[in-house]
Amino acid sequence: MLRLTTVSALAMAIAMPAAAAEFRWAGTTDPQTMDPHAVNSAPVLGFLNNVYEGLVRRGKDMAIEPALATSWEPIGDGEGWRFTLREGVTFHDGSAFTAEDVIFSYQRASSEEADTSSWFAPVSDVKMVDDFTVDVLTNAPNPIFPDSIANWMIMDSGWAAANGAERPAKDAENHATLNTNGTAAFKLVERQPGLKTVLEPFDGWWGTPEHNVTRAEFTPIQNPATAVAALLSGDVDMINPVPIQDAGRMAAAGNAKVIQGIEARVIMLGFPHQADELKYTSDAGKPNPFKDVRVRQAVAHAVNVPAILQTIMRGNAEPASQLVSPAMRGYSESLSRRPDFDPDKARALLAEAGYGDGFSFGLKCPNDRYLNDEAVCQAVTGMLAQVGITAELDAMPVQNYWPELREDNYDMYLLGWSPGTFDAEHPIRFLATTPNEEKKLGSWNFGDFSNERVDTLLPLMQSEIDDAKRQAYIDEATKILQDEVAYVPLYVQPLVWGTGANIELTQRPDNFFILRWVTVN
Amino acid sequence: MIAYVIRRVFQSFVVLLVVGLVAFSMFRFVGDPIDNMLGQERTQADVERLRTTLGLDQPFPVQYAKFLANAAQGNFGVSYRQGRPVATIISERAPATLELALVSGTLALVVGIGLGVFTAIRRNGVASNVIMTTSLIGVSLPTFLIGILLIYVFSVSLGWLPSFGRGETTQIGGWSTGFLTASGLKALILPSITLGLYQMTLIMRLVRSEMLEVLRQDYIRFARARGLRERSVNFRHALKNTMVPVITVVGLQLGAIIAFAIITETVFQWPGVGLLFINAIQFVDIPVMAAYLMLISVMFVGINLIVDLLYFAIDPRLRIDGRHA
Amino acid sequence: MSDAAHEPSRLAKMLDSDFAYKFRTSPVAMVSTAVTLLLVLAAIFAPLIAPLDPFNPASLNLMNGFTPPSTPNQFTGESFLLGTDDQGRDVYSTILYGMRISLFVGFAAVAFAMVLGISLGLIAGYVGGWTETIIMRIADVQLTFPSILVAMLITGVAKGFTPVEYRDSMAIIVLIVAIGLSDWVQFARVVRGSTLVEKNKEYVQAARLIGRSPFTIMLKHILPNVLSPVLVIATISLALAIIAEATLSFLGVGAPPTQPSLGTLIRIGQGYLYSGEWWILFFPAVTLLALALAVNLLGDWLRDALNPKLR
Repeated sequence: MLRLTTVSALAMAIAMPAAAAEFRWAGTTDPQTMDPHAVNSAPVLGFLNNVYEGLVRRGKDMAIEPALATSWEPIGDGEGWRFTLREGVTFHDGSAFTAEDVIFSYQRASSEEADTSSWFAPVSDVKMVDDFTVDVLTNAPNPIFPDSIANWMIMDSGWAAANGAERPAKDAENHATLNTNGTAAFKLVERQPGLKTVLEPFDGWWGTPEHNVTRAEFTPIQNPATAVAALLSGDVDMINPVPIQDAGRMAAAGNAKVIQGIEARVIMLGFPHQADELKYTSDAGKPNPFKDVRVRQAVAHAVNVPAILQTIMRGNAEPASQLVSPAMRGYSESLSRRPDFDPDKARALLAEAGYGDGFSFGLKCPNDRYLNDEAVCQAVTGMLAQVGITAELDAMPVQNYWPELREDNYDMYLLGWSPGTFDAEHPIRFLATTPNEEKKLGSWNFGDFSNERVDTLLPLMQSEIDDAKRQAYIDEATKILQDEVAYVPLYVQPLVWGTGANIELTQRPDNFFILRWVTVN
Repeated sequence: MIAYVIRRVFQSFVVLLVVGLVAFSMFRFVGDPIDNMLGQERTQADVERLRTTLGLDQPFPVQYAKFLANAAQGNFGVSYRQGRPVATIISERAPATLELALVSGTLALVVGIGLGVFTAIRRNGVASNVIMTTSLIGVSLPTFLIGILLIYVFSVSLGWLPSFGRGETTQIGGWSTGFLTASGLKALILPSITLGLYQMTLIMRLVRSEMLEVLRQDYIRFARARGLRERSVNFRHALKNTMVPVITVVGLQLGAIIAFAIITETVFQWPGVGLLFINAIQFVDIPVMAAYLMLISVMFVGINLIVDLLYFAIDPRLRIDGRHA
Repeated sequence: MSDAAHEPSRLAKMLDSDFAYKFRTSPVAMVSTAVTLLLVLAAIFAPLIAPLDPFNPASLNLMNGFTPPSTPNQFTGESFLLGTDDQGRDVYSTILYGMRISLFVGFAAVAFAMVLGISLGLIAGYVGGWTETIIMRIADVQLTFPSILVAMLITGVAKGFTPVEYRDSMAIIVLIVAIGLSDWVQFARVVRGSTLVEKNKEYVQAARLIGRSPFTIMLKHILPNVLSPVLVIATISLALAIIAEATLSFLGVGAPPTQPSLGTLIRIGQGYLYSGEWWILFFPAVTLLALALAVNLLGDWLRDALNPKLR
């Protein structure tokens, strides 16, 4: 028995180099479907980027680069965009990629059953010019359209039709829920929802592989501490995310390393801008102090962001001055200074606003949405208490959180925003524009912040082709949001991945894990 | 007897309906599934449309009636999260939980009875007292903490055992088993200890006290007086007579093992129905939650029914009295 | 009223003589009682003993966060006996205050379960018929729901029904109700079982014959006779309730993080197990273990001591 163990251990040791190109990774959430148009969520789109491709894709630096389209140019005076498609591309099942698949994928992804239809709100039509040329016509000039479709993935029309998956399935499963037929560097070989998903390289891929992975297995591990244990004990080769507090230890452990970057997500505090009364604690029913800009300024000065970054974030995050991080397009360089931590000034502002004796209110916070969200809210509670305003903290799981915010059950709340387009226009559209259901504006502006000038600036920045002019519009809007303290941006959430010591990979700022950049040594 | 059984089965059926009703009326407080199902670019119109599609805009009695009508035909709906039939998902996950429950149940039974007999025979011995006291440590720590500590020691520090999951599984028909591979067996060790520890302590204490009681009975004294060997007295006579209450408790505890599996499965990322349920709560996946609860209810109510019927069959007093629970 | 006086005095006599003797001669009983008392007293007098008030957010300095036990903090130079947690809270003070919440929840939940379970058990056993059927079927329903789920659902329902401004203070009450609700069944089952046996005994028959009301009979005659198993279950339940509180807090449906119980502290601490801040998990876990173990040992000893068959 003992000898048998020794022999098998030896066999394993010998087999090591060959097995080294197998790669196992873990994340907190299982992609809920393999259908690229059924669910618009980061875990799904991030995973499927390894299997499906769009007309364009994002490179290591997030820049848009050619994928299934080799080039694109505006049509006329902002009427739309013409895409020239790559020739000689095949899907995983061997069928050829043509303009028909693009038209089909547009119809599928913009259909009512699709969760991705909002991406195509500016599109009036998609026309096939020839087998390898496609025109996308837009309602208004849309300079950022190519930037906004990096996650629009192209599915084989013939395969979808043959398997009855012409439309994404919303309340039933269909063939595309569990199977794929894309063009990307990896193909799906096994899918057990919630357990494991196995990918293998696609030999017929049009690009040049930069990886040496022969088989890749993804396992969802929900509890980050379990994931850390799995990485440290060598059960997996890569985990995302690493709990921020474990990063230091893990880097020092020797058999693991930590890869850090700045994510696109900005964490901020939000206020009720229109509510007349406070909702919580002993001051419930009293006039809402947060309507006064001085009180909002006081909050901005009372929160000691450097201390939060130093302790809770362990020095792994950058303070934020606006709704987007410096890595985003349209970031306002000239407005990169955030309010200083100055409790005396905060107290003075409160006194000036007539709240010298402070007040108490309710702070809502998710406890499983952002990195260490609950600890950050607790720290904020303490810091606000030190300038005399008492927050009663209510931290809850995210499935209860959004309904609470939507029903306006808060006096202050924590929000994180990651712009899907990697552009400063995105948070202005969703968080700072007066909510308008019909025009699909301000849909996450829970506090109903409303400023006429910001509302006017939004369409201007959306359709301006000239970069300098566009930046001027964005700067102006950002300045207003800072002056009005529409939100108090706190910091840019860090991105922390952990890998085995023998793994080389590239971390993209959108937190998408791209398997074709992995090298197992 | 038959009238009693029919009445009892009917009551159990009512219990199931009530469980379902209570569960359904409370689901809406768990959270709103819509947010998780739509991306951040969703509009209010999308939200309303999906709500209508899923039937969530209807009052819960209507939702419940629909659920029951479908469930009666074996259709538990489609998971909000995975977009696949709940029945399929549960049947994929059930083997993991059942195998874990089986191993930890067996572990609890074998070790529990062994230690119970030992501590009863050596009632005042030092070893017995040590076992009795240390076994209490096992039930004085929350299950999740025991699991975390076991992972810390045996997976991370020593690197002996896997920290999560089931290892390699083999597919036999519709059943995926971890019993046939080395990694599958290794993966079972820590979770089954974590899950079985509480039941083990319980069984050990039960066996001990039942044994102590039986050992005082006259027929055991007679057996001893007749000069039977100690081993024979202890095992053939005494242990046999403690088995009835032990089996009853074990039956009831089988349900508890599966219910407690929620926590163990969460800590060890064990891909069973417990983990499925916890994930379903986080995602407000109502069809999965409903099906899981109904499944657990059927199991508990079934076990209760069997135990009650057994009592009825065994205890003639209950019959004469005409009183039954 | 002479019989009424007779019953408690019997109990008192038992407590007086045999029981007390057993207690004095059992080191396990003495030690576990001492530990339990010590911890309970420490919890009650926490505001007097604890060096800092961890529940006052204004007193916290975030820069004190993660200070190792009895080591000066690298930024502030302050030192804490058992170190600090992620918020810069003194772990020692937080444990003392947290234990208050854990014990309060534990005692209150057991009291709630006991009152509910005993009442329903007595009624079910004594009245019988449909009443009994309904009560015992409700017990079945109750057993069906894992306590974690009960707590989650109750939290949800409490949110649905309490006015917005009171919601935040509901967490503790919700915990008590949730744990109590998942625990009453065993009291009810034991009491019902004993009641079924007791009610056919001569003294109860006699009391019924002289026209005493069912309420009096249940309360004055039957109840005292089922108290010793109830006492044992209550003690064990206390330990279980404290652990259940910890588990619920671990799953995030327990005490709020600004007023942490032992369970909340453990939940916070387990996040720092791999990052080297072992003290945030270790000290609360040891306290929880000591508390639950002492109560369990006490319950165990009580079971043996009160079981006449094992004498």
